[in-house]
Amino acid sequence: MKANWKFFFLAALVILVVFPFAYLLLLSMASEWRFPELWPAYFGMRNWEQVVSSETGLISSFLVSTGISFSVATMSTFIGFFISRGIAYHPYKRTITLLTYFPYILAPVVFAACLSYFFLKLGLFGKPVGVFVAQFMVAFPYALIFFSSFWGEKTKSYEELVATLGGNQLQAFRKVLLPIAKNMLIICFFQTFLISWFEYGLTSIIGVGKVQTLTIKVFLFIKESNFYYGALSCCLLILPPVLLLYINKRYVFNKLI
Amino acid sequence: MFLEVQHIVKSFQKEEVVKDLNFTLAAHQTLSILGQSGCGKTTMLKIIGGLVKPDGGHIYLNGNLIDDVTPEKRSIVYLYQEDLLFPHLNVFENIAFGLKIKKINASETTDRVHQMIASLELQGQEKKMPHQLSGGQRQRVSFGRAIITNPALLLLDEPFGSLDTGTRARMQDLFKKIASEFRITSLFVTHDLKEAILMGDHIGYMQSGKLKVYENKEAFIQDDHTGVQKEIDFWKALTN
Repeated sequence: MKANWKFFFLAALVILVVFPFAYLLLLSMASEWRFPELWPAYFGMRNWEQVVSSETGLISSFLVSTGISFSVATMSTFIGFFISRGIAYHPYKRTITLLTYFPYILAPVVFAACLSYFFLKLGLFGKPVGVFVAQFMVAFPYALIFFSSFWGEKTKSYEELVATLGGNQLQAFRKVLLPIAKNMLIICFFQTFLISWFEYGLTSIIGVGKVQTLTIKVFLFIKESNFYYGALSCCLLILPPVLLLYINKRYVFNKLI
Repeated sequence: MFLEVQHIVKSFQKEEVVKDLNFTLAAHQTLSILGQSGCGKTTMLKIIGGLVKPDGGHIYLNGNLIDDVTPEKRSIVYLYQEDLLFPHLNVFENIAFGLKIKKINASETTDRVHQMIASLELQGQEKKMPHQLSGGQRQRVSFGRAIITNPALLLLDEPFGSLDTGTRARMQDLFKKIASEFRITSLFVTHDLKEAILMGDHIGYMQSGKLKVYENKEAFIQDDHTGVQKEIDFWKALTN
């Protein structure tokens, strides 16, 4: 009897997790589905075929999103790794670490409003590079916080050991610190990619509708009450995170456990 | 003298950690330095290794002033209490690390590493990763990694502090053997009285940042500060 309850509970849990994704996929393949009809008037690949057409702009949004998120994740992970070392060994480590939390104190929209004057002066409004800079300002502090636990007495000892063995700073990074931090670097890349990928508030204000990332596109379709395209863009939206999750599970978590 | 340390002083904020450090050491000799925790032993070693800058004084190695020489060019290897093996490299790669950094060719590296592995009695462990080794084996790899680079001076900061009594005794024997085989000049810091007497050709005692090097082991034993007499009295009292 106990086993049956356990099975029922697990099945319910799986359905609860899987249902939203399955329903999104179903909705993305439907059109003209009106209440109280149980099945849509059309069910097929028509919406997906539209993806490649320029009319919806989904492919270009997907490419813009991928480009921005990849750049944000790469830059914030690598710069964050090196800068976090400087902070960890800095005499004012605590104060600087406290400042890295600043972007998370404010709501993204308020943060964007605070930055808008400077972005306007620099001519970054409505440009992909502007959205990149804005998202980097959120992802980079995250990387600093993430790597703060990596640096400490042990890493300092490793660096000193490499030095007394005849190695320079570059060799200490290339041959010891980066290989040791490999898993953390991959996880940080994954997390900062997600921060950028799902970012809406900052992107909508700095992008001023001209930089249409996939997340912006989803909201546009929902505002237009175009649920079918909304669902389709949601399917595209979860594609890279699912791929990254698979890579993480396959190559990182399995090695950590 | 091979190593000459003259008037080294070092303070952290207002605390004077090393006070007028003076001593010399001949080549291929080991000076063991006994001292309690916090007496300035580690700071002293790090100053000699170039990892901490002293406030004053000079260090000569083989007749050359090395005050402004960077740690990577001093040819002085500092060994920590913790073995600090690189977790992503196996035993062979850990030992070969210093040679690869110095761009020694592959065949010579392989020969020297195999020779070192034999000296360390680690045959058959070459492919093992650090987490697959025992504490004693890890410390041996750490020794091998340091000695293979043929350093002018080896600084050992309580290298056996984390080992159990039996392993510690075996490691002491192994170190004596290797020190003689590779003609090593070293400073061996410990807070273990017996280890200090066993490991050193000369013995020093460090207290509150001041180092006193004894003329011979008898002088060290006779000095009340070192605690040797108390130890002897303790064992005598047990046997009576």
